[in-house]
Amino acid sequence: MDLMMIADLAAATVRISTPLLFAALGGLLSEKAGTFAVGIEGMMLAGAFTGAISAFVFGNVALGFALAALGGAATGSLLAFATARCRADQMVTGLAVNVLVLGLSSFLLRGLFGGRAPVIRLTPPGTWPLPWLSEIPVMGPVLFRQSAIVYLAFLLVVPLTLFLTKTRAGLTLRAVGENPEAAFAAGYDPIRIRMIAIVAGGALAGLGGAVLALQEVGSFTDGMTNGRGFIALAAIMVGRWTPVGAIAGCLIFGFVSALELRAQSWGLPVSSYVMQMMPYCLALALLAGVSRSARLPAAIGVPFIRH
Amino acid sequence: MLEMRGIKKAYGTVQANRGIDLDVAAGQIVGLLGENGSGKSTLMKLLFGVVSADAGTIRFKDKPLSGHGPAQAMAAGLGMIHQHFTLVEAMSVTENVMLGAPGSSPWLSPRETASRIRQESATYGLDIDPDAMIGDLPHGRRQRVEIVKAILRGADLLILDEPTSNLSPPEVEGLLGIMARLRDQGRAIVFISHKLDEVIAICSEVVVLRDGAVAGTCRVEGATRAGLARMMVGRDMPPPIAREATAAGRNVLHVGQMALTERGVERLAPISFSLRAGEILAIAGIDGNGQTELAECLAGLRLPTAGGIDLDGHDITLASVGERTELGMAYIPVDRATMSLVTGMSVSDNLALRDFDKPPLSRGGYLARSYFAERAREMSQRFAIKASGPDIAARTLSGGNQQKIVLAREIGRHPAVMIAHQPVWGLDPGATHFVIEQILALRAAGGAIIYISSSLEEVMTLGDRIAVMQGGRLSIPIDRDTVDLTQIGLMMAGDDSLIHGAAA
Amino acid sequence: MTILSNIDTVNNEPPPRKVTFMKAASVLRRLLAGTATRATLAVALALLVTAVLILISGKNPLLAYAALLKGAFGSIDRIAFGFNKSTPYILAGLGVALCFRANVINIGAEGQIAVGGIGATAVALSGLALPGLLLMPLALLAGVVCGAAWSGLAAFVSLKRGVHEVLCTLLLNFVGVLLVSEMLHGKLGEPGAGFPQSPLLPRAIWLPKLVAGTDLHIGIVLAVIATVACHILFWRTTFGFRLRIMGASRDAARYVGISSIRQTMRVMLTAGGLAGLAGGVEVLGVHYRLIEGFSAGFGFNAVGVALLASLNPLAVLPAGLFIGFLEAGALAMQREVGVPSSLVFVIQGLTMVFVLCALGLRGERSKV
Repeated sequence: MDLMMIADLAAATVRISTPLLFAALGGLLSEKAGTFAVGIEGMMLAGAFTGAISAFVFGNVALGFALAALGGAATGSLLAFATARCRADQMVTGLAVNVLVLGLSSFLLRGLFGGRAPVIRLTPPGTWPLPWLSEIPVMGPVLFRQSAIVYLAFLLVVPLTLFLTKTRAGLTLRAVGENPEAAFAAGYDPIRIRMIAIVAGGALAGLGGAVLALQEVGSFTDGMTNGRGFIALAAIMVGRWTPVGAIAGCLIFGFVSALELRAQSWGLPVSSYVMQMMPYCLALALLAGVSRSARLPAAIGVPFIRH
Repeated sequence: MLEMRGIKKAYGTVQANRGIDLDVAAGQIVGLLGENGSGKSTLMKLLFGVVSADAGTIRFKDKPLSGHGPAQAMAAGLGMIHQHFTLVEAMSVTENVMLGAPGSSPWLSPRETASRIRQESATYGLDIDPDAMIGDLPHGRRQRVEIVKAILRGADLLILDEPTSNLSPPEVEGLLGIMARLRDQGRAIVFISHKLDEVIAICSEVVVLRDGAVAGTCRVEGATRAGLARMMVGRDMPPPIAREATAAGRNVLHVGQMALTERGVERLAPISFSLRAGEILAIAGIDGNGQTELAECLAGLRLPTAGGIDLDGHDITLASVGERTELGMAYIPVDRATMSLVTGMSVSDNLALRDFDKPPLSRGGYLARSYFAERAREMSQRFAIKASGPDIAARTLSGGNQQKIVLAREIGRHPAVMIAHQPVWGLDPGATHFVIEQILALRAAGGAIIYISSSLEEVMTLGDRIAVMQGGRLSIPIDRDTVDLTQIGLMMAGDDSLIHGAAA
Repeated sequence: MTILSNIDTVNNEPPPRKVTFMKAASVLRRLLAGTATRATLAVALALLVTAVLILISGKNPLLAYAALLKGAFGSIDRIAFGFNKSTPYILAGLGVALCFRANVINIGAEGQIAVGGIGATAVALSGLALPGLLLMPLALLAGVVCGAAWSGLAAFVSLKRGVHEVLCTLLLNFVGVLLVSEMLHGKLGEPGAGFPQSPLLPRAIWLPKLVAGTDLHIGIVLAVIATVACHILFWRTTFGFRLRIMGASRDAARYVGISSIRQTMRVMLTAGGLAGLAGGVEVLGVHYRLIEGFSAGFGFNAVGVALLASLNPLAVLPAGLFIGFLEAGALAMQREVGVPSSLVFVIQGLTMVFVLCALGLRGERSKV
């Protein structure tokens, strides 16, 4: 394995991790406030759809990202209403919303374009080489010649960490996830806070979907997220519910997927299907390793009922 | 400072408050006395804005207060210390204090908050470390965190809802001292309690509620226990339950050096005791001192990590729940809603929880439902369970009737040993009486009973021998005739020198 | 909070002594009363929302739904198609309903169906010198065993390592589906087919037709038998009794001395077996071979069916038929009026959300 191969692998890892990271950070918000984020798969797909369609129709990538966040947030608000307001089971509702989005995006892809799905080809957003850093030999060009959205994903961890640990709103959000009764007694409305967290998380997951559609794939196809939301979910747990940990989790899964793509060209004697199983098997293995010692937000999955 | 006039509130057809007046002046501690269900908690929830009143007016610091929620109540200067604390266990004291603290900055200021906690802690003698995690603090300490929270939020009037119910005697002393200091600083306190001594010790005025209305108001000077008690229940206190003296039977249960360690934490220090047939061993102690662990080790829900249990000549240390049941072990756990009953299942199913997998209730894995119904009819009669039929869900019954189902199932099969953990918790007087009667009947019939409760009163009236549980250790059981209340109080508070003999 | 916590597990069924038809009918009515109202409302609401979507896409919703109905019931062949479609949903849905009742959130039916299909195919193509009448049940049994093994694996990881069963089953779905592809590109693939599919199975082990001249195979009979069996299992056996206790409260199960671990394993194996059977039925009754992606969407439908039935085993049958015929009709609707059939996912997703909300809100009322 030479240097170029490593550089190439690193670049692919970063590229594949980006959508996962957005989704994981979104899911993190939702879970920190006490709602299992099984629905991020659907929120991602909604973002991928609205992002790709709007970029395709209006020819504007920035608008695509904006509407992707909106699409994810809209999906999140349905989930938020069902789980927080109506106390629907979080896991199964998340699953239901995933399928709803799968059907809706597939339906609209055809329904909005007169019955036949259009061929969508999108030009990826332009890259912003970082001065100095991109000049580093070998690694510089592959790691620091990315589009703005990639930098955004990784930089987002800083404000998110500050938000959760240093702000009043972040403290409240965590309290709602740990003990909503305490937050309620302190004068907050846990239901509203959970809803806001899910919707905000949905917007982030939607952005993740858009990165997938606009940058990684350059198109929209039915069900294109294909379990990435669940992988992001695993990344949150592996990262022990911290934004920085989520980066680590996403990079691990991104790396395995990158390996999967490269394995063929390296002529490894492993079937492509076995390689495709790797992220899921790895997720299971990592979860098996960390779950026993994981400390979930104490009130996750428990609906808040005002007595 | 506070004026409540003509407060009314109904829950469905139940009139919880029917026109209550309450006045509290600054620098005054007012006792709010009353039995369970007399309307104390409802009145305070109305004041704090947790529920809204049907009628009546509230004036606080000369401003009207209406249609408010807890947030407005706190902003106006009210503070409430609930019986169940509203603290986040996974956060530090400082974080809990910052949660919902007034202020306009979006940023937290942990250092400043911590220093204010230290300051108030010193002023009122609270002895709180701002960096401690709530999860690591004992009950009494958590209560002080609630108090400091309310003070730092600028509460001029504090509502303490039965604050002493889970405190040991020295902790109660401490709390009363803190309350006095708060009063001397010009704050007002509403002290909800049904413990007459405490009320007389600290309050200047007492308001007694009965059936949702004010039964009387009086100054504490000159009030007597008996007078207040009469006001509370509307009649003189009933005499203690009479019971026959039974000859001590043979030993049925022997526990030898039983200990439990979970995840490296010692839950039970080696415990030894014997229990005779026809005897009640009452175990006192503040909740969370290993009572649940002791009960569950005996009942087979947890396995002790050392020592042994012998039931009537059988070593049951590692026996399954089913095997213990066969040998005559019964268990009434403290939690009705999720443990001893499956509230979503029917009365007849709940009565069958112990032996649904044995004939005649089932054969070859197939349930014989007609026997379920028959059992339900028989037990409903014997234990006066008021249910419209054997097939209705247990959740539709009152707490008293639910507990009767548990009693019917556990006592109905004449167990040799029964463990009853707070069996009258949350029950109305009628149901409480029924449960106690049944337990005494089992004793008279030769059953051995371990009665665990945090209420000293229950323990003292029921126990033939009395022991105290503290920090996972059990004191040597003492005969009821030679027991010394002060000694028990000290043991509950963790006086090692007295409890130490347990290991012997 | 559990899904089940909002469903009373009171069996309203009186002990049957003399079972008359009238009595049986009234028993059925009482058993399904709450379930049916909830399901009907949820479906009606979902259809209403999707009607708006059809309008947006510039089509007439009434015409579309008429085409859907006609597509579902328009001819004997259509009805046969609907029954065949429903069969795997009912089988897998029963398992999901039992799991959810025990508060084990198994959403791994998809992977279990896929692996069950592999098992059935492997036996069918093994070249065992057995008569078809013997080999066919053997192949189905292999499906059951493989499906159960797959769910058992999920349960094992979940119980041993503390991974939430939702994640275990979800992740194993992807692995199970990919396993089918792997097998079709390897041992079970048809050489030179150009498609990822297995060779055609010998005709002797195809599932027999229920009505000659149609595609209707006997799978639906298996589904009916399984429904009745699960109903009895759940309401009338000690196994079901344990599941009901465990689903309501793990503490109560501990109190009674029920091993949650053993029960979880058992109910997961049962569900996996049923899903695996569904996989075998698809292979032996519909495709007559293993094809890539044959289980796509089945796992989710199983969850939808279980929820639509409010986790009531007996109600899984009508719920499964509803979803099956809905899908069958939707394919026709797409052909006839050009409304994409993916609309079905929207209807299902919405229906599930509505049912879940109704169950969640019910919890509040019963607590007052």
